[in-house]
Amino acid sequence: MHKTTGLLVASLIVASAPTLGVEMKYPDFEAQWRNPTAGRGGNPWDTTKPMGLGQEPPLTPEYQAIFEASVREQKKGGQGNSRGSTCILPGMPKVMNFSEPMEIIIRPHITYFVPMRYPTRRIYTDGRAWPKDEPPSFGGTSIGSWIDLDADGRYDVLEVETRNFTGPRVFESSGLPLHADNQTVVKERIYLDRNDKDVLHDEITTIDNALTRPWTVDRTYLREPIPYWMEKNCYEANQHVLIGAEEYFVSADGKLMPVRNGQPPPDLSYFNAPPR
Amino acid sequence: MPARPALIAIALSVAAVAQAPAPGRAQTYPDFESQWRSAGGGDAWDPTRPAGLAQQAPLTPEYQAIFEASLKDQAAGGRGNNYRGACVLDGMPRIMSLTAPMEILIQPGLTFLIFQQAFARRIHTDGQPMPDTEPPSFQGYSTGRWIDEDGDGRYDLFEIESRNFKGPRAMDSTGLPLHKDNATAVRERLYLDKDNKDRLHNEITTFDHAFTRPWTVTKTYVRERNPRWTEYNCQIAPGAVFIGLDEYRLSPNGRLKPLHEGQPPPDLSYFKQR
Repeated sequence: MHKTTGLLVASLIVASAPTLGVEMKYPDFEAQWRNPTAGRGGNPWDTTKPMGLGQEPPLTPEYQAIFEASVREQKKGGQGNSRGSTCILPGMPKVMNFSEPMEIIIRPHITYFVPMRYPTRRIYTDGRAWPKDEPPSFGGTSIGSWIDLDADGRYDVLEVETRNFTGPRVFESSGLPLHADNQTVVKERIYLDRNDKDVLHDEITTIDNALTRPWTVDRTYLREPIPYWMEKNCYEANQHVLIGAEEYFVSADGKLMPVRNGQPPPDLSYFNAPPR
Repeated sequence: MPARPALIAIALSVAAVAQAPAPGRAQTYPDFESQWRSAGGGDAWDPTRPAGLAQQAPLTPEYQAIFEASLKDQAAGGRGNNYRGACVLDGMPRIMSLTAPMEILIQPGLTFLIFQQAFARRIHTDGQPMPDTEPPSFQGYSTGRWIDEDGDGRYDLFEIESRNFKGPRAMDSTGLPLHKDNATAVRERLYLDKDNKDRLHNEITTFDHAFTRPWTVTKTYVRERNPRWTEYNCQIAPGAVFIGLDEYRLSPNGRLKPLHEGQPPPDLSYFKQR
């Protein structure tokens, strides 16, 4: 399966090189971009289909079963495969869901995706080879190339390939899983819409051993004419507390609360002092 | 004392007199775009002095007592006023100690300080005031000005002013406190060393009601020619449990334990008593 993954990616990497000796111009990507579907009843990976089982992802039987178990657990009030409540990073490709806006900054050797509350994605466009000593990460390592499709001296497409992951990672908060081996490869083609330069497309193809075939979705982002930024710290916003195997909430006034009717309080037998 | 925030504002406006660039000339930016690391001094706020009481921070008697209590608590194994263990953001001005690398990217109207271990800082240089609707944050809202000191068409100095904070924030990991009213204002002057363009100086002046006077320190950053980045995600240490900002420990059998002797248990008034 890994060899198949490698061959598939190699065959997809064919890209036209820029004309030598010509100073190329970059497309008008530098802006804040937002996901028009974020926060409207979920954030599905394939935005043309509902979240959860309605995604009809091309999962292997083993991972379909893992996915269905996650959906079942969430229906009962659990977290399933979604680790958002532990403040673990979403990583790739989920971070491209743009649950909050993201800004793009282009430099000749690096293109930056600066999200609101996750680490900055650096896409290296300096022609470097895959590093051999890079520790795996949730965001992976991204190498990209700019492509001038119509040879007019202005780049049109940023092609990106991302590898070298750690996990666990999922596609969306329903817990749609990626394989535990973390051999994921993500390919992206990022370009402005032909008819509306305030719309950015990201064709994302995920190649993963949890999938029976590469899975491509076209995510679109809208240019934000009046950018805004908020400081969003996962832990500050996180009301979940795990004490042993039991989950609780923390109220707005900082007190422990049950998450379900009749839930017993935690055992405080280690405490000798009176309650605060 | 209600006039104290106004005093801070007056002090800043007097200090903020800056040379505007000559109109009509295309200005170029200094060579700031790079990865920068701290030149040393650790996390202590004034890098020329050891951490703790030796900082000789100009604290009011009330906040000196709070600081000393923090040091005592840390000496006893607690975390004092340092909330990093709970993944509370360091905020300003502490993040400018650069305990991990930072990158600077300059755009017209906006300069980005991108940190390995903190959210990006955006310094607004478009001349617009802070929006009225801006929520307070640990990093605050920063406006900046590029200044061409010698009139040669290249900016030399970047002046930044940051306000609109929330807390709790401390200056460093010893818990050197800022005032809980969060009326802090921070002024920075960033410029390259005259003799070594691979060194960046940041003169940071903090105005805060925990201090008897504005406190200025100079941090120095060193340019990294071969930058490496590590993915950072603050995670609560295994075995630690935070309920709000109160820290506890987890026993091997999954029960809540006090962090230190005499620590009261959490309030369970939301649970039906059996």
